[in-house]
Amino acid sequence: MSTTYIRKFRYAGIVMFLMLCMLAGTSASPADASDITNCLLCHKYPGISRVDEEGKLRLFYVNEDVFNNSVHMKVKCEGCHTDIKKIPHDTAKKVDCLVECHITEPSTETKFSHRDVATYLEKSVHSTKDEKGQPKEFAEDLPSCKECHDNPLYRPLSFFKSQTPGISEDALGRCRTCHKKEEFIYRFYNHITSRLHKTRIPLNIAEVCARCHDNPDIVARHNLSTRAAFSYGETFHGKAAKYLSEKIPDCLDCHVKKGTSVHQMLSHEDPRSSIHKNNRSNICSNTDCHPDASQKLSNYAVHAEFNLEQSKTHYFFTLFFIMLTGGTLLPLMGIIFLDLVRRFFPNASMKRRKK
Amino acid sequence: MKKFMFKIYMIGFMVLTVYFMIMIWNVTFAHIYEEYHNRQEIEKIVELKKTMQKKAKQTTFEKIIIQSEERVKHYLGYRILDEARIEGHFHHIGFDVGPDNRSYCIDCHGDIPHDKAKDLRAFLNMHAFFISCQTCHVQLEGDKKTGVFKWYDRGTGEIIPSPVLTGSPGAYRAKIIPFENVNGKPMRIDSKERIAFAKENRERESELTEPQKSKAKKIIHNIVSEKPHICSDCHQKDNPLLPLASLGYSQDRIDLILSTEVVGMIDKYTNFYMPRMLHPGSPGNGKE
Repeated sequence: MSTTYIRKFRYAGIVMFLMLCMLAGTSASPADASDITNCLLCHKYPGISRVDEEGKLRLFYVNEDVFNNSVHMKVKCEGCHTDIKKIPHDTAKKVDCLVECHITEPSTETKFSHRDVATYLEKSVHSTKDEKGQPKEFAEDLPSCKECHDNPLYRPLSFFKSQTPGISEDALGRCRTCHKKEEFIYRFYNHITSRLHKTRIPLNIAEVCARCHDNPDIVARHNLSTRAAFSYGETFHGKAAKYLSEKIPDCLDCHVKKGTSVHQMLSHEDPRSSIHKNNRSNICSNTDCHPDASQKLSNYAVHAEFNLEQSKTHYFFTLFFIMLTGGTLLPLMGIIFLDLVRRFFPNASMKRRKK
Repeated sequence: MKKFMFKIYMIGFMVLTVYFMIMIWNVTFAHIYEEYHNRQEIEKIVELKKTMQKKAKQTTFEKIIIQSEERVKHYLGYRILDEARIEGHFHHIGFDVGPDNRSYCIDCHGDIPHDKAKDLRAFLNMHAFFISCQTCHVQLEGDKKTGVFKWYDRGTGEIIPSPVLTGSPGAYRAKIIPFENVNGKPMRIDSKERIAFAKENRERESELTEPQKSKAKKIIHNIVSEKPHICSDCHQKDNPLLPLASLGYSQDRIDLILSTEVVGMIDKYTNFYMPRMLHPGSPGNGKE
């Protein structure tokens, strides 16, 4: 081999090495971006925890893999835990979800904050204050951010040939044509496709609402007429939700006005509410659900429980059909079973045979 | 053969019929029965309204301990994240380690035993997740000392090969256990005899007199050293307590565990906080 070839190979080798270094730089994991202060040095260990004075488990573990699939993957640890300035750190303060983090909101180019969400919540039925600004009775029962939200996880969709869960590698290939940073492509794709549908399926949404609305103590304290998630589970929609259907309405579809934030949930007595008696018919007959439905459809007792006091009609109607179904099918099955026994033991008899 | 096949067919059909009968029972009459109990609960709510204030403050074992654990399945489409939910906890846990079925210490002290040394308790509990209690709380000396440490499976209790290279840090589903010298042989310190003794004490505790209880407690804890091993016994380059290489740690992980970053952090804690740990039981501090 001539020296020219050797030189060429050497140069090619150097170029390849430099390219690999650049590639290594661009393909750094998303956590590397979030964890520049190396918090995971300790917080990657699942056992990092304690039981506090009130008997509550305080877990300080951060699952890196799961975090990197969450909407906060780009937020640095100190973006939320703002009081931590040094390592080892003192006892961390409670995170304020309204804090301005280092993320820039692209449409206004201002620092991002969840402050607007808090404003919506203050005007909703879940606000801790009444119309006059006075604290409501049992305000401690009303939800703050973490009552409903854990770290929201991406639910990406692939639209390339058909709509399926997950990431479309073909679509990512298109992104790569113009965009070079893998972390950006991955995050942007996840963000957009997760936002094109709900980040939680109806069952998960009902479970979140159930934590308060099925809690007998809270139901009693706030004088609520029903255990909302339980009675939802009794309906056709609720049954489909249990089978993980995503096409049926969940709590938010009916209780939040179309096109507004889910945090703007209003009382059924508020004329602006989607479930106010004057607006209810628009819920069922919206184009996504039953567009040809009559006005009356929405007047049925959605949250009726199997309770004689609450709804006599519903109670006896349900009871009749349960009795009819069980009373017909069970004897039928019994007869079939006995018939099979006879076929299996054709000569069997309860009477003693004469010798 | 035909007769045999017929009998199989008949048995299959009978099983199917019984299955359908159970299913129909569950969705009809059993459903009514369940609803009846739900209604009873609603009636309880009505009662609750009358004693609202009182009930709000009521704390029961059922509520605080039994009902406090919830599991959630997050359906993400491409995967299902099934995990425990801790009230008010923001970050996802994402996996289960499973209980330590071998340790007899945690039957009384729990899986998260450290809570007195305020600045260290979370770190100590973190280590307790993959290091057995005896590793730190028993200082083997003289003839008893072997320098042998091995991993045991949290589920079966059996000694297993090192899980370090295949698992995520600290989430091994295994714990390190020390071995003591018994008649010239290295034996694991959590011997079957010690486990059986502790178990019998737990089972018969209610029938023991106060002096008997104290005696049993003393015997169970007689291997526990007054001063446990401290962080720097392992996190030091010169003769660390745990033989990290033979426990399966790679050189990279050993370098990290003994790195300036980790050792320096421990030093900071040692300078400011550790002396309190070294005097367990002194005023204002508890014995861990």
